[in-house]
Amino acid sequence: MNAPSTRTEAPPVLAAEDLSVRFGPKTALTGVTLPVARGRVVSIIGPSASGKTTLLRAFNRLNELTPGVVTTGTVRFNGVDIHDEGVDPVEVRRRVGMVFQQATLFPKSVFDNVAFGPRASGYAGDLQELAEEVLTAVDLWSGAAGDLDAPALTLSAGQQQRLCIARTLALKPEVLLLDEPTSALDPAATARIESLIHALKRDYTVVLATHGRRQAARLSDMTAYLAGGELVEYGPTESLFTNPRDPRTESYLTGRIP
Amino acid sequence: MTVAGLSGAGSRALGDRLAGPALLACTVVAVGTLVAVVGVLGVETGRFLTQVSPVRFVTEVDWLPVAEEPRFGVLPLLAATAQIAVGAAVFGVPFGLMTAIYLEHYAGARAERVLTAATALLAGVPTVVYGYFALNFVTPAIRGRWPGTEAFNALSACLTVGLMILPTVVVLSRSALKSVPPALMEAGLALGAGRGRVVARVLVPAASGGIVAAVFLAMARAVGETMIVTLAAGNQAQLTWSPLEGLRTLTAFIAQSSLGDAPTGTLQYGAFFAVSAVLLVVCWGLQASGRFLASRGRGATAR
Repeated sequence: MNAPSTRTEAPPVLAAEDLSVRFGPKTALTGVTLPVARGRVVSIIGPSASGKTTLLRAFNRLNELTPGVVTTGTVRFNGVDIHDEGVDPVEVRRRVGMVFQQATLFPKSVFDNVAFGPRASGYAGDLQELAEEVLTAVDLWSGAAGDLDAPALTLSAGQQQRLCIARTLALKPEVLLLDEPTSALDPAATARIESLIHALKRDYTVVLATHGRRQAARLSDMTAYLAGGELVEYGPTESLFTNPRDPRTESYLTGRIP
Repeated sequence: MTVAGLSGAGSRALGDRLAGPALLACTVVAVGTLVAVVGVLGVETGRFLTQVSPVRFVTEVDWLPVAEEPRFGVLPLLAATAQIAVGAAVFGVPFGLMTAIYLEHYAGARAERVLTAATALLAGVPTVVYGYFALNFVTPAIRGRWPGTEAFNALSACLTVGLMILPTVVVLSRSALKSVPPALMEAGLALGAGRGRVVARVLVPAASGGIVAAVFLAMARAVGETMIVTLAAGNQAQLTWSPLEGLRTLTAFIAQSSLGDAPTGTLQYGAFFAVSAVLLVVCWGLQASGRFLASRGRGATAR
């Protein structure tokens, strides 16, 4: 394994190494190096358009869907460069699951949404059992979504986002990428998602892009501060929040940068 | 600012006051024409149906308007029209839908530009050119394959009308596909599905209401098509399902009666209006169903 290990921890499950991304003439990320250790929750904070989403989408090769994108540097998943010729992006996306800012449910039933990913990968087990398992995990099994045949789009916004998480969990991914999953939700729905993320820590590595500084502080082990496409600071959440090394991080955390 | 500084508005207001009525007048001309057409068709059809019983009009299987003992059974014409519309859809819809899917989800920017322009050109071909093409290229090809085929036959018309409605299918099903949020494609890919699977299992079903509407509207065009069917399928009113025989659609009969052979007031003259009324009802029915399905389709995907 040739992935650089910045700490004494186990080798990172996911790592960006000197990663730069630009869309045509617009630079979105510049030279970002960010290892994500297995079993941790890593928050990526920063102002709007600081590159949080681009970084997340680099981890599962979604950026390449945008015409005119140029990616340099390396992204490693379990030590393997995911841009290597032999790597199938579909396989990467099965193992690095992603939940988007806006709920993106299909206009189908709750069950069909949950079963979509497993069916695509030829899941051999019992889909009903799997659905129960992941819906229970997001606390939807007993609620409205307990009716598996209900149209997914009839759920409330918060329930829809939790169903999106369940749908991704059904892939049994190793890493969960959450792109501002609560930014479109009210405080009560946000609180439920946060406690869910807290519970997911046990089984998953989570990378959470968030606009909410306090959300990052509450949920994550490690925090990265991104500004203008550059990684300004990356470290344990507590020390980053209480004792930022970079003055720019401090301005952001104290709210002088919106 | 003084009051005088604001007085310039007076001269503009005159233009504003006239614009509304002027535009309304134009609208009245268009709507008035429609009302007149429907009115004339209604009155003349009503008069015709006092002379030929409505029951016989819709149940008799012989259309012999100029026979010594004329028969006015509209069924052969209606069946021929249905056969052309369904046949054209069978050929036109799969190709049109696949083209729309390709353009929307697979084509690169350059291919999309070129093919979209080509589709628009196809839509601009006059139907008489299609008819000529059918008669001189499609029909000989069919007769080469099935020698017993009549010179005027339904198959040639179906194929060519299918080509004619292709742009309608492409444009309308593309706009149905476009109305599906693009985020669903990303969501599907992020769930580890291939592009084809996301298209087939998520995006096309989500657009299905609009796609069905596209089919109905394209069939309405096929029903109204006159030149191609007259040139390719001829003008023999016979109740046949064989695609290798000639037939006579509602439109083909109307085109023929419009040549002015029938003296005003005769039964044959009245039949022209009755058939026109039937054609109008069929076309409007298809269009209305299409719009209804389109609006229902939007409801299902709306967020």
